[in-house]
Amino acid sequence: MASRERHLSGLLQTSDPPRGLISEVVHRLIYPFQRGEAPKPQTPTGFYTDTTICIGCKACEVACKQWNQLPADGFNWSGNSYDNTAELSATTWRHVKFVEQFSDAWSSDRASLDFAPDVPDHNRWLMMSDHCKHCLAAPCHQACPTGAIIHNEFENVYIQADICNGCSCCVASCPFGVITRDNVGGHSHKCTLCYDRQRDGLEPACAKACPTQSIHFGPIDELREQARQRVEELHRRGVTQAYLYGDAPSQTYSEMHSFYLLVDRPSVYGLPDNPFNPWLHMMGDYARSIAGGVVAIAALLVVVLLLRS
Amino acid sequence: MYGNSTPQQALAKPPLPGGEKDSGGYANLPFTKVPGWYGTIAWDALLNGMATGLFMAAAFSELAAPAIFTPVAKVAYPVALVLLLVDLGLLVSDLGDPLRFHHMLRVFKPRSPMSVGTWCLTIFSLPLTAAAALSLLAEMGPLLPIKIDFEWPRILAVIAGLLPAFGSAAYKGVLLSTNAQPGWKDARWMGGYLTNSALLIGCGELLVLSALMGRTQAAAILRIAFIVLLILNLIPLGLLFSDLQPTHARLYTRKQEWRAGVLIFAGGTLIPLALTLFNGGLLFLFASVIFLLLGSWVIRFVYVKIPHTAPLEIRSRVV
Repeated sequence: MASRERHLSGLLQTSDPPRGLISEVVHRLIYPFQRGEAPKPQTPTGFYTDTTICIGCKACEVACKQWNQLPADGFNWSGNSYDNTAELSATTWRHVKFVEQFSDAWSSDRASLDFAPDVPDHNRWLMMSDHCKHCLAAPCHQACPTGAIIHNEFENVYIQADICNGCSCCVASCPFGVITRDNVGGHSHKCTLCYDRQRDGLEPACAKACPTQSIHFGPIDELREQARQRVEELHRRGVTQAYLYGDAPSQTYSEMHSFYLLVDRPSVYGLPDNPFNPWLHMMGDYARSIAGGVVAIAALLVVVLLLRS
Repeated sequence: MYGNSTPQQALAKPPLPGGEKDSGGYANLPFTKVPGWYGTIAWDALLNGMATGLFMAAAFSELAAPAIFTPVAKVAYPVALVLLLVDLGLLVSDLGDPLRFHHMLRVFKPRSPMSVGTWCLTIFSLPLTAAAALSLLAEMGPLLPIKIDFEWPRILAVIAGLLPAFGSAAYKGVLLSTNAQPGWKDARWMGGYLTNSALLIGCGELLVLSALMGRTQAAAILRIAFIVLLILNLIPLGLLFSDLQPTHARLYTRKQEWRAGVLIFAGGTLIPLALTLFNGGLLFLFASVIFLLLGSWVIRFVYVKIPHTAPLEIRSRVV
């Protein structure tokens, strides 16, 4: 058996990197420029996360790490409720957030089981499983100078790990702080929306693992409809503050293929209240940049031409 | 009102225990992640201005008055090439995976300032190298066994380099202002300032070279141009400070703001201006350009530092 394994490992596979220094250098130089055939567009997919039924079990975090073979973050206390991951990172593509909204009097009031509050009880937990928003006009995609960040055939934002060179433009441009550069490999990473699973007709690991179906995966149009019905239902049941975040484009930001049902301000969940696509300023910034240079050149030329004689 | 929600849904604000200020959660944490750019990028921004500015100042001066500026320009191009190579070295070393620097050349994306900048710098490096090499060959002319006229190819290389040099200077500010980072995203005049500053720095460098080479007429003209550009540069600098004023107000106390403003204004503009006006001697001109470079570096460093200041995002949201 051992000799058979040795024999197999010695065989040159088509995916094996070339051997020898010169071959490796040539391969490194050439392969980024090689293009395969683009896959046929599929039905756009995404996530709809209903935060009202999230129980903060972190099964999604674990499933994501397990499927994508991401290292653990350590067992640290962040000091922020039950959140021990603290943020999305190059090795944490799912992050469950915990928001404790309790008045100071709450704990003493509840000491007695006979206590019946006179006012409506607004003390509550908010929990939300955060991840990449897979924006339709993604600033990271626009910023990427290598073309490593693409919209794949499912219209999800995907980083081609073998192309990214770690320039960090995507990190700077993401208004949600999703993308992070890995300190070890030096490349940027984020949620792939389980591209490999989708290609095999499977749902993403997090959605599969979610025990309350807080994380919905599917065709984006169906998810939007489902989410709107859920908001209407919540409104009918008295949860009038329920609304969708990222389901539709605003004046300053595109729609997102991962959107949320929230019941408090976005900033409470760590999301910008009014996300802004930095590219809306680009043409004006270029115009000012060119103007600044042209004026200086004109001044230099005027002085030289006037004084040359 | 909130994000991308429909108004009807978004207008429903939830009642919060203890009022809005006590909503807890992640409201006081930064939304964005700081890229791994820091001191290197400040040096890169300065060297970019020094290389592109010197080339453009030399090229425009030479094309406008060749009899006066050609000897100085022939020295300026090799110096600009050295500065550009150092700058490119910094850019590559700042990547997470420097061995993949050439991946930037697999696509051209006009909507990505980094892509535009990479292509401009790459294209610029070719005519600059040619201009530098031909300038050196022209100087070595008498030593060469055969007589070749390098002048026309050199001038063609200089002309070919103008547009990519301008692009290389202009993209940097747009790259730094077109993103989601606190402070940077508000700096609408960053590009205007950096491009204008590049020409100013380039003029200063060319002035020192002229003085060093004893080209008195070139130095006299460039001295006037330097003074004009120094004063002119105050406009985009003022506009940039105006853009960043709310950010500065959240970062610094009033006293600190004034101190930094006076330091930058005095060190980067007033002292160079006074030195240049006072005396046209080499020592004074050299000191003047050194002060200008110091001031320019401080501005770039302070600007690059903004998103790295952790409390800023918190304060910006409280205000």
